[in-house]
Amino acid sequence: MKDCRQVKTELVAYLSQELTEGEGVEVEKHLQGCLACQRELEEWKKVFHLVSEVKEEAQTVANSIDWSAEASRIVDNTWKPIQKQPEKKRSWSFPGWRWQPLAAGLSLGLFLGAILTYLLITTGQVRFSSRQPDSNINLPQGFVEKVDLELARKQTIGYLETSEYLLSELLSNRKPEDFSSLLTSEKLREVLTEKKYLNDHLEDLRLRKAKNICDQIEMLFLELLQLSPQMSEIELEKIRQLVEEKQLILKINLVKKELQRGEV
Amino acid sequence: MEQKQVKLEEKEIASLVERIKQGDREAFMRLVEGYQQKVFVVTYSLVRNREDALDLVQETFLRLYEKINSFRPGENFQGWLMQIARNLSIDFLRRQMVRKKESLDELDLDREVMAGAQSDPARFNPGQMLQKAVHLLPPRQKDVFILHHYEELKYEEIARRLKISVGTVKSLHFKAMQRLKEILAPQLGGNQ
Repeated sequence: MKDCRQVKTELVAYLSQELTEGEGVEVEKHLQGCLACQRELEEWKKVFHLVSEVKEEAQTVANSIDWSAEASRIVDNTWKPIQKQPEKKRSWSFPGWRWQPLAAGLSLGLFLGAILTYLLITTGQVRFSSRQPDSNINLPQGFVEKVDLELARKQTIGYLETSEYLLSELLSNRKPEDFSSLLTSEKLREVLTEKKYLNDHLEDLRLRKAKNICDQIEMLFLELLQLSPQMSEIELEKIRQLVEEKQLILKINLVKKELQRGEV
Repeated sequence: MEQKQVKLEEKEIASLVERIKQGDREAFMRLVEGYQQKVFVVTYSLVRNREDALDLVQETFLRLYEKINSFRPGENFQGWLMQIARNLSIDFLRRQMVRKKESLDELDLDREVMAGAQSDPARFNPGQMLQKAVHLLPPRQKDVFILHHYEELKYEEIARRLKISVGTVKSLHFKAMQRLKEILAPQLGGNQ
């Protein structure tokens, strides 16, 4: 059997007729023997009665209204906005006008861009290929680089051989006047010109070691060129010492061998 | 006065809604005739003024038409319509209370009730006080109260409408009624 606490929480549902038959019977049994819960039930009935009065008042007022006339009034007042609806729908069915400024801007941009591109191409300021205009051969980039490197290597070997020969000449003759015709100013200029031609190729990182020794030789030959007409024996000796100290011939041979083996 | 309360079946409602979407004025008229009194009872119970309640009925059907395209077949039409009416009425009351600078505070309402009951019980209007007290209920308690007492729905139907369990409906209803009982006790001569 339910106690007072349980029954009190069910009195609202009981008066609302929302309890099952069994639950309702249990509440009624408890109420028969409990004065406190009976008083509680009476208080709840007053609240329910007040709520019902408000509802009944609403129903009474509703019964005094001419609903046929009211329905016409409601429809008349409501239907006006409905008539405007198709206009609204038409505006939504063609939303493109909202984007017209953007579309116009984009079209203009594309048009101007196309004209500018055309002008740049026709005036030759822009080329879409790295190929020279007079060349009919289009070789793969890797192949061209390989050929360039091979060419540079052979030219460097040639330069080093010439330099080695000249330096040997320098070391073998004791006096400036004993120099053979090989170590003339003209010959030095030739070698220096060859070096200038080589400089571009020597920028390749793979020829860095060769570049280093070539640069040292170049400096030495420039010095010799300046001194050669009236070179004193002391000056010549200094240059010889420099060549020996720096072991230029040995270095030339080593780099030359590396180049010949293709190790660069 | 002759009262014309049209009874509409679910299939007919779906058909009427489709016709209204096509711009059929007669279909809209039939729907208004079928539901205007039910809507009025709810709006009047909440605002307790004939003209205001009628204006709210008008506003409800206007909103209904504006949103008719979002209504899908199979949905509970009456629940949808009554929810519009309920929300409009609650908004109206809120605006009215702010305009009249009436108390929106529960403690002030309690003081008002006590003062009215003690000073001049004859002038004290329990219906008006009930209206205010209902308005100050928490939203879910208020919904359950209105659905059960003014729209006369059973707990099971309320549970379906609000997508909550029957037990929760029972609990919310009890709490709502307890709060109203506390507020109205002085006038009703209770012990609270």
